[in-house]
Amino acid sequence: MSNVKSLGPERIKELETYIHISKNIVREAYRQFDPKDIRLVWSGNKDSTLTLWIWRETCKQYGYDMPKAVTLEEGDSFEEVEEFLKRISKEWAVELDVASNTDVLKACNYTLDADVEVKLLNERNQKEIERIGFGGLEKFPFEPESYIGNHLMKSVALNTYLEEQKIKIIVQGLRWDEHPVRADDAYFEHIQGEELQPEQIRIRPILHISERSLWDIYHHWEIPFVSLYAQGYRSLGVKSTTKKLAEIPAWEQDLENTCERAGRRQDKEQAMARLRALGYM
Amino acid sequence: MRRNVILLTIDACRKDTWGCYGESDLTPFLDSIQDHCIRFDKNYSTGPYTQASFPAILSSSYYLDFGRIKGTCPPGRVLVSEVLKKQGVTTAAFHSNPYLAAFFGWNRGWDTYYDSMEADVSDMQPYVSAWEINKKAGQWLQSQKGKDKPFFLWMHYMDVHEPYIATPEFTKAVDPDLNLTKEEQFALFKDVLLKRDTENKAGIEMLRKIYWSKVHEIDAAIKELFGILSETGHGNDIVIITADHGDEFNDHGGLSHDGKMFDELVNVPLIIYDPSLTKGIATDVITSSLDIPPTVAHLFGIEAAAAWQGQSLLPLENYSRKGAFAESIDKQGVHEKGTEPEVHMYREGDMKIIYRQGDDSWKQYNLKEDPKEQKDIYGNDTTSEYLIKKVVPRVGRYVKK
Repeated sequence: MSNVKSLGPERIKELETYIHISKNIVREAYRQFDPKDIRLVWSGNKDSTLTLWIWRETCKQYGYDMPKAVTLEEGDSFEEVEEFLKRISKEWAVELDVASNTDVLKACNYTLDADVEVKLLNERNQKEIERIGFGGLEKFPFEPESYIGNHLMKSVALNTYLEEQKIKIIVQGLRWDEHPVRADDAYFEHIQGEELQPEQIRIRPILHISERSLWDIYHHWEIPFVSLYAQGYRSLGVKSTTKKLAEIPAWEQDLENTCERAGRRQDKEQAMARLRALGYM
Repeated sequence: MRRNVILLTIDACRKDTWGCYGESDLTPFLDSIQDHCIRFDKNYSTGPYTQASFPAILSSSYYLDFGRIKGTCPPGRVLVSEVLKKQGVTTAAFHSNPYLAAFFGWNRGWDTYYDSMEADVSDMQPYVSAWEINKKAGQWLQSQKGKDKPFFLWMHYMDVHEPYIATPEFTKAVDPDLNLTKEEQFALFKDVLLKRDTENKAGIEMLRKIYWSKVHEIDAAIKELFGILSETGHGNDIVIITADHGDEFNDHGGLSHDGKMFDELVNVPLIIYDPSLTKGIATDVITSSLDIPPTVAHLFGIEAAAAWQGQSLLPLENYSRKGAFAESIDKQGVHEKGTEPEVHMYREGDMKIIYRQGDDSWKQYNLKEDPKEQKDIYGNDTTSEYLIKKVVPRVGRYVKK
């Protein structure tokens, strides 16, 4: 990390304040909930890893027990991310579960773009497909970040895992500046349960940390991160639909004037941002 | 003579802003073509917002036929593009409404589908303008010159939709003293419209005027489109112009277009421009936006799809519809949940009945005596019982299934 500039004392103080705010969210969570009832959603990306690091630091400082973490296996992972999760969970002694919609993965024989026959899926997946408006669909190509794929491989995989584990409280590494649709997210959010959507309490400790501050924190406190960010990736999704934004490390890119998620599959993001601008959210 | 069909839809455009429908002087071009138009005075949209209304316009189906599905286009909807394409008609679409993006599945059956999702847009104008849509469609029309296959072209303008930011040259005709900066207009959007602040009467009046200036601008864009059609050799083609829904300016205690069923939201303009007509026709039969796909198919001499629930508006003398339904979800939007209650509307004769599942309430209006829908006569009219029977089987029908 030869290119990382050292930070002035005022900036360090500022970053400490941000971390302090996050730690207070964690402490509030411990006032309300038992860690056994919590899961940290950890994809291995920069946001969820920082969230995990801050959570762990808070636990060390106040003598709390760490909750378990859970990661989603979507069938199209970067090897670098898999290796990172394995290595860091060991180093940090984090108990890590893997949640996956294996029914879909089996149906496409673990192959990208292979057709998934809807009638061969289990009842839950068929119901979920119907719920998002594709009732009557016979088959679809397996792609984890398509509209259907995103729902089945992320939302359904996580919800099913949480239902099985009887867990209602999850921790998410979301940030306000990551995307305009995040701008109104709250540190604590209660999601009412309904059919196919279990009740959830979502805790988001690093909402206020900007992309710039995030990288400054990583470097100043020497927190490990996936090597892909050094190669130019700014935001990590699944392998086949995530692109590098430049050939220089993420933190050397023009973070303030370029779009963090530009290398990600755009359809959903763009549609959501436009709807928001039209006053629909 | 082979004739192509162009469908032009305008988002959130109130019927009363068109001169040919009332007192307005905002639409001189639309008014000037009325001698060549069939004008439908009681055309009903199937819902008060895009997700609820467009299934009818593009697939002659209702919003809730397939459950609560957040605007996606399920395979069960048969798009007019699919039917036409199969019969050898070239199909093209140019629009900028995110609810109708290819991502949500509305691109089925189109040879060309421009949804603008890759375009750079701003918060003040989160869509590509009518002028840009004209340009793109114009290039495409040019490419169709001399082609043997007939075409169906659908274009959609977003410019009348909030956030309303006026183009200065079009504001003058509405109110020469309306000198708001873009930022001030955007602030009105955020502080008054988004917050549904109906107490701010002055703010609403300004929003209304900016909205009017956008309608005035759209009229100029339609004029430009007709020029492009002539220049590209398509001056004899049929043009259908309508709106997906209207917009509210505190007519019934609200702003924008939420789940309500009053006429400013669901009684939408509809004209069929046929240059071979020499005398304008106005009809006050009740019609529905569901009728657009069968009408388009009819114009190409193609049979309507069995799944379609509308009927061809042409020939007019054969048209018979008793009434029109509309449906919506009370708290629409992307956060809508399967448990949100439904709202239903039925119009027949002079009567309109509205059912809100949320508080299990019925309201009825006599639109002839009370066109502004201010006096609820539910229960005090002999027709109430008959109208209820029409609506009840439609409530929660997906859940029942």
